[in-house]
Amino acid sequence: MKKKTMNKIVAPALALGLLVPLNAQAADHAPTASTPAGDLRATLDQLLSEHYVLAVTSMMKAYDGAPDAEVAMKALNQNALDMTPAIASIYGDEGAAQFEEIFAGHNDYSADFVEAAKSEDEALRADAEAEVEEFVDEFSTFLDTATEGNLPKDAAADVLELHEDQVLSVFDDYVEGDYESAYMTYREGYKLMFDISKALSGAIVTQMPDKFETAADTPAVELRSTLNSLAGEHFALAAIGMQKGYDQAEDYDYVSWAEDQNTLDFKAAIGSVYGDEGAAQFEKVWNGNHITAQGDIVAATLEGDEAKIEEARMKLDQFAVDFSTFLDAATEGNLPQEAGQEAIKQHEALVLQTFDQYVAGDADAAWMSFREGYAFMFGVGETLGNAIVTQMPDKFAETTMPEEMPETGLGGAQEQSMNTLYAGLAVLGGILLAFVTLRNRKVSEQ
Amino acid sequence: MNKRHLFLALSLFCFGFWTWTSAQESSSPPVEEKQIEESPDLSAEFSLLQEEVKKLRLAEEEESAKAATPVQLQIPTIDVDTAIEQVGVLDNGQMGVPKDENQVGWFEPGVKPGSKGNAVIAGHVDSKTGPAVFYELDQLKTGDDVTIIDENGNTLTFRVTKTESYDTKNAPIEDIFGATSSRHLNLITCSGTFSDGGYDERFVVYTELVATEINTEVELDAPTSVELRGNLLTWHAVRDDAVIGYRVYEVVDGEATHIESIPSHARKSIEVTNEQATYYVTAIDQLGNESSPSAQTK
Repeated sequence: MKKKTMNKIVAPALALGLLVPLNAQAADHAPTASTPAGDLRATLDQLLSEHYVLAVTSMMKAYDGAPDAEVAMKALNQNALDMTPAIASIYGDEGAAQFEEIFAGHNDYSADFVEAAKSEDEALRADAEAEVEEFVDEFSTFLDTATEGNLPKDAAADVLELHEDQVLSVFDDYVEGDYESAYMTYREGYKLMFDISKALSGAIVTQMPDKFETAADTPAVELRSTLNSLAGEHFALAAIGMQKGYDQAEDYDYVSWAEDQNTLDFKAAIGSVYGDEGAAQFEKVWNGNHITAQGDIVAATLEGDEAKIEEARMKLDQFAVDFSTFLDAATEGNLPQEAGQEAIKQHEALVLQTFDQYVAGDADAAWMSFREGYAFMFGVGETLGNAIVTQMPDKFAETTMPEEMPETGLGGAQEQSMNTLYAGLAVLGGILLAFVTLRNRKVSEQ
Repeated sequence: MNKRHLFLALSLFCFGFWTWTSAQESSSPPVEEKQIEESPDLSAEFSLLQEEVKKLRLAEEEESAKAATPVQLQIPTIDVDTAIEQVGVLDNGQMGVPKDENQVGWFEPGVKPGSKGNAVIAGHVDSKTGPAVFYELDQLKTGDDVTIIDENGNTLTFRVTKTESYDTKNAPIEDIFGATSSRHLNLITCSGTFSDGGYDERFVVYTELVATEINTEVELDAPTSVELRGNLLTWHAVRDDAVIGYRVYEVVDGEATHIESIPSHARKSIEVTNEQATYYVTAIDQLGNESSPSAQTK
């Protein structure tokens, strides 16, 4: 299946002439987001960003004394354990065990921060901050060693510290009732997790060129990661927002605000591929029977209005049809309508399932569904990303570039004028061009 | 509904003794018939939750009882314009008196001015050094106006129906404090002759409610962060427990049309159809008061 697609791509790519054959690799591989490095990055994207979402959410819930606070914390711990096999596949069981010991342990501090805020215990807060500092030091050392210096300790420590700061600042603002700041930082903190994932996967890929032949930051993989980030954030905010709405939490509007900001980012991403008109179309479909329908379900549930709930659910079904139709048209059939509709329906079902279980008071089931629904979004980047990459291979061509300019001289002609040097370069360029053109013609004739 | 007998002596500030025995309903305020004028049917406009409907009913009841706490007393004829303190019953059974002799004391355990019954306000006639706030109370005549301003800024106008002086020991407490089906406000001060036991008389001004001017200047914040992106109009909630919902207006060629009402428990966003129009949102409270418009979109 994959092979077939590739062949289909190669032909039009060659027709582009000069552009493509300059890059031998691109001639061999159509650009794709589904590379081992892309997979690695997507896995880290998912687990690290989920860690962030669960950490912040469980801290808020614990502070509020919510009935599902403990279950949310359990989900956070399970997320940490899920990282172990991913690390083991790269660094073996021993490395994974070491990782688990450092990483899983740091989730315990969040409980201390919550307790310190509740009892206004400054000493406990200071202790917890010291623990976090220790964690940052330990974990950055681990990363430096594991990646053999490809992710240097200092760089790792900086980014980890920023992450911890962001988690705490969201929590502190939440406690203060400054929801606007809380959710502004929430979104920044969410995005940072994808930066961390990029740095870490990049370091691993550089460290193990045999395992990962292509980079973790090719344009196609970047697109995959961007779409994953947007889709994952959408799910998290939708699911958490519906809970906040049902609880009539004071920060409900601010989660809605964050959700709308996510829509804007999504729109911008679509716009960068399909232009302003496509972006505007996206926004209309996205909000129409989707974002507002989820809001309707919350309100109707509070009102106990079954008919209104049913009506909103129908709207979501309509959204699955409309959005998949949009994607089919935008990707020129590379993401077929039926497949898209199926996936969107599944996503909506997971959002509603999470909500219904929450309303029913089944916290265990709700948080299991949340994790399932969150993970589901990380297929979006690959599917939609590849559809776009396949549609526009030239936009995502993996050009191999040297890091530095070539050493094209040995100094024997030092005294010659610069003009001569330029002339020489021009000749060299001409030869190259001729060579390439010839080679290209040969290829076309085959 | 156990009845409690209150033994009240009114006259601490006059150094005399009044004893009042009155049967009074202990806690529950008298049931009032609803009388909101032009009461908007809010529960039909906003799909309200059970507890919101309850809140709405309570608010309506309170409003119809005109039962807001009085804060200012004005009697233009005798140039009185003073703040109102709250006084209760002292340990010895006397009605308390205002701490400040230039202010008056509203008998807080009784009804509020404007409610059915006899609301009572007392003031000093003099202090040890000279005249006090009710020094000229005996100048009031039938037909004079007495005005109360309540905590919501509503103005209640009472008209004097009669004035009477009583011997301190034989004042008709029941007439002054007791239950009645109309809305009265009675003012008390000392009169007669001052001796060792204080003044020997009490001067009482009886008034009845004649007009209520509801403060229409609602202190309800307008919604903020009203934004239109694509076809989604969003705004932030007004953080006020009294808010039950929002009205969304579409403005085309300077003409505003109310297009939708959103209850406060819902997501603060709607899809709009006319992207060329501008929009604004108002907040609505339990009594149907509407805030000033938010900033318009774009």
